[in-house]
Amino acid sequence: MTYGHQLTFGVLLDPDAARPGDGVLLDPDAARAGDSVERARLAEELGYDVVAIAEDPDGLDAWTLLSWVAARTGRVQLAAHTSVPPRDPAMLARSAAALDLLSAGRVDLTLTTGERAEAKGEAEAIEIIRGVLDADDPRPLTYRGEHYRIPRMQRGPLPAHRIPIQISGYAHSLLQIAGRTADGWVAELAVLGPDGVAAANKVIDEAARAAGRDPAEIRRTLIIDPGVSTDDLLPLIVEEGAGTLLVRSTDPTVLRRFVKDAIPALREAVGKTAGTVPGRSAAVRAKRRAGIDYDRVPASLAETAVEPGDVEYARVRNTYLRGGAPGLVLRPRTTAEVVDALGFVRAHPGVPFGLRSAGHGISGRSTNDGGIVVSVAALNGIEVLDEAKRLVRIGPGARWGDVAAALAPYGWALSSGDYGGVGVGGLATAGGVGWLAREHGLTIDHLRAVEMVLADGTVVRASADEHADLFWAVRGAGANFGVVTSFDFEVDEVGDVGFAQFVVGAEDPAALLVAWGQAIEAAPRDVSGQLILGPRRPGQPSFAQVMAVVDADQPDTIIDRLQPLAAVGPLYDQNVVLLPYAGIMANAAEGYHRAQGDPVARSGLIEHLTPEFAAAAARMLASGAVHWFQIRTVGGAVSDVPADATAYAHRSANFSVVAMGSDPRRVDAVWRDLYGYFDGMYLSFETDRSPDRLTDAFPPATLARLRELKRRYDPHHLLRDNFTIDPRGGQR
Amino acid sequence: MTDYGHDLQFGAFITPTAQPAHQAVELAVVADRAGLDLATFQDHPYQPRFHDTWTLLSYAAARTERIHLSGNVLNLPLRPPAPLARSLASLDVLSGGRVELGIGAGGFWDPIVAMGGRRLSPGESVAALEEGIEVIRQVWAVDRPGPVQVRGEYYQVVGAKRGPAPAHDINIWVGAYKPRMLALVGRAADGVLPSLGYLPGGAEDLAGINRHIDEAAGAAGRDPRAVRRLLNIGGRFAPTGRAFLDGPAEQWAEDLAGLALEYGVSAFILAADDAPTIERFAAEVAPATRQLVAEERTY
Ligand SMILES: Cc1cc2nc3c(=O)[nH]c(=O)nc-3n(C[C@H](O)[C@H](O)[C@H](O)COP(=O)(O)OP(=O)(O)OC[C@H]3O[C@@H](n4cnc5c(N)ncnc54)[C@H](O)[C@@H]3O)c2cc1C
Repeated sequence: MTYGHQLTFGVLLDPDAARPGDGVLLDPDAARAGDSVERARLAEELGYDVVAIAEDPDGLDAWTLLSWVAARTGRVQLAAHTSVPPRDPAMLARSAAALDLLSAGRVDLTLTTGERAEAKGEAEAIEIIRGVLDADDPRPLTYRGEHYRIPRMQRGPLPAHRIPIQISGYAHSLLQIAGRTADGWVAELAVLGPDGVAAANKVIDEAARAAGRDPAEIRRTLIIDPGVSTDDLLPLIVEEGAGTLLVRSTDPTVLRRFVKDAIPALREAVGKTAGTVPGRSAAVRAKRRAGIDYDRVPASLAETAVEPGDVEYARVRNTYLRGGAPGLVLRPRTTAEVVDALGFVRAHPGVPFGLRSAGHGISGRSTNDGGIVVSVAALNGIEVLDEAKRLVRIGPGARWGDVAAALAPYGWALSSGDYGGVGVGGLATAGGVGWLAREHGLTIDHLRAVEMVLADGTVVRASADEHADLFWAVRGAGANFGVVTSFDFEVDEVGDVGFAQFVVGAEDPAALLVAWGQAIEAAPRDVSGQLILGPRRPGQPSFAQVMAVVDADQPDTIIDRLQPLAAVGPLYDQNVVLLPYAGIMANAAEGYHRAQGDPVARSGLIEHLTPEFAAAAARMLASGAVHWFQIRTVGGAVSDVPADATAYAHRSANFSVVAMGSDPRRVDAVWRDLYGYFDGMYLSFETDRSPDRLTDAFPPATLARLRELKRRYDPHHLLRDNFTIDPRGGQR
Repeated sequence: MTDYGHDLQFGAFITPTAQPAHQAVELAVVADRAGLDLATFQDHPYQPRFHDTWTLLSYAAARTERIHLSGNVLNLPLRPPAPLARSLASLDVLSGGRVELGIGAGGFWDPIVAMGGRRLSPGESVAALEEGIEVIRQVWAVDRPGPVQVRGEYYQVVGAKRGPAPAHDINIWVGAYKPRMLALVGRAADGVLPSLGYLPGGAEDLAGINRHIDEAAGAAGRDPRAVRRLLNIGGRFAPTGRAFLDGPAEQWAEDLAGLALEYGVSAFILAADDAPTIERFAAEVAPATRQLVAEERTY
């Protein structure tokens, strides 16, 4: 019988095998070291799947050698055959994570016992290693075993993939551990013989079943000597279920011969009997959420799908601002796969559904609890369609920092937002209030066409000429109508720009707001910017951050434009630089999202920062309910576009206002005083999900038209994670 | 004026950040190409935001060609000396003699203990480091007869086979500030590696550091010149000079030449996590400093 694993072949670089006398290698360490590395590279070149390096108490340190080999190879799996002790499991886990990250997920561990026959701490070591690698668990790792004690260490780093941990050995105790918890078992054929392998498999299988595991979860690896014939090997694979064969040799001729003769013959013979690739382990499946038909995930998406038990889960569960625990994250790589993903979502009508590009949604719930997330992060291409017309096509998963960097060599830029980590998909379907807004308008004002997958799975292109109604709707309410899979933009020529960061005294925040508002409104359109205030802290001086971009490359012009802004209050610090637009956008944090909780944000658009509004804002700041208050400039070119041209309709505003806090009741209690001054809102900065907010985001005529389109394009209300318009809703 | 006459070396002190995974390696490659002498990484095994420093050093060594690499400094309490010595020798062999051993007695005991390490008092940790260095040197000394024999209070390594032999004489540089540790440096180490930012009195504290080391070296019958004085530094390039190591490259060179001539510092390791700074340090500061020092030394 077989365990259904895909058959793999490797080379075991066992320094013992290379002792003088067997005539392969010279003894001096340098020669041996160089040869081991050369053999590893040769193995990769020849097409072996695995290079295993054995611990050698008298020779080179196996981990150091493996790390070196990792840097000099690109594809092979790197198997460390190593023992605890002398290695410490917690340190080994950290090392394994590092090498796995550096080698893009190529590491696996085999715990060997060296001279020792019986298990001694291996089971504990496996638990500790897994515990350290489980970086998704926020609790520190505490372990009290017979062999190891860890008072309270921090877990992590998260490896690039699930690092398999295998056990090598023959004693009953070791076989039991292999069956109970390990991902694999490794043994030398020469030590056991075929019958011994069968007997050991039996012990492992029983231990696995007793622990509630499928024996197929444990890969069986046999170390073979080069002399063994194909005829002898075949039964080990088809009857004893060996999934990996490691040839113990450092002789290039032997390695070549095995690849040429044995591997094709074995693969062919096995091909006939090979089972299916086993799915996720029982432990992973145990973390699945109710209501999701995991076995029906479309084949095209199965490979990239992530569920709660997977290592990758930590990287995809949260967003920039929210902690989440989705039951399934689908990660389509093509438009066709997006169609498949939406089909799967349609088959789960009662399950929460979030759509994600780069996960910076504030209004958009691109993560959830127990639901499905479709992440189009992989659709992140950026290509120039027509250089003369400055037409570019960008995937929703691209981030604005990447977009800016890609356009910079052409001397182009596309005003988006202020942060390079924000995704194209979320921003370019809603608005896009960016560093060049007053001069060049919103991001959506540059949109010429989109390709999108509608709720029913149809793929359409929308532009001024095709599906013009959808093209209108997608520019401001896109999340209601489909998954945009690519955006065609006409971008601007933008040279170096002046970027100013001022720290201004805010003892009188109301006066500051009024002065700044007036200065901005009076400024030419080549100035855009923002102002940020924090809560007032009693007894401490108050400051505001004033930032501005001047689209000019002459220092004189820049200074000229900035002077009035620098004068809005006492200036405590200033930094003005001339740099490419892409330089401002190179501010995205690296790494995956780790947010916890659920922030509260309130959004409003306003024409002028009047003294009355400013006084209300100052009261809000004094209340302490809001920890972040930010005003971005719109107006200028944004206001040139007629209100009915796009679903983003509040075109007369000069300012976009946002307040963030954590307690919705406290925030609303103070926001209420500001609310009356607004003329609508930019939906991207609002977290309130009440349907009333729709009337703030869209004026009546716009909302009526959107509602009608929603009925037509999404009658079953599939797309509902972001300012959703209920197709069954009233005419409000 | 103190000058131990060493050639000047310049290095980078790179954060071993685990995210993005290749950032630290890429910076080491930049340092290598730019012609720096040393790429170094701090070692805090209890800090999961960082790569395991040893794995990173090994990987980075395989991706570079000329530059020497070192921990800055490796954490002895979580890295037992005998395996550490073997790892160092192995990497030295693989890299053709490009590994040095920056080592420290450990400073942050709470997280060390939280990971299963043993808490030591400052005095104990000095003694442990001295034993550790003895173990390491014995492992490397393949030509000496018999196995490793260290029956210490903190490390007992008795009867272990020596080797592998490193490819070159690996330098042992100790992160040291206080008298007892400095005395150990004078007796047993090849260099001292403090951070300028941790010196309460600033650069002037280097005089005291030198005095302790030189006295201990003398007492042990060693030439004080056997101990290289390295220094971790931080700074920023600015169009006009504002402060020490805050200004244009020429000013940096003057500042560093001052340290070299006044306190005998002969290796400057700059904390930098961006390629332009590393390149500028190598291309503009290093040659100018070398020239200034050479000019002074010829008088
Ligand atoms: C730090 C920060 C700074 C910001 N600064 C600005 C700014 O200066 N100016 C500005 O205008 N906005 C700004 N925003 C708001 C930002 O534009 C929105 O939150 C945007 O939705 C984020 O896009 P995303 O793809 O990263 O988010 P995601 O979380 O991936 O998506 C958010 C929502 O967008 C919708 N969506 C995502 N992808 C698609 C798609 N392919 N097709 C259709 N709908 C989709 C979904 O409804 C989803 O829930 C900022 C946000 C943050 C967190």
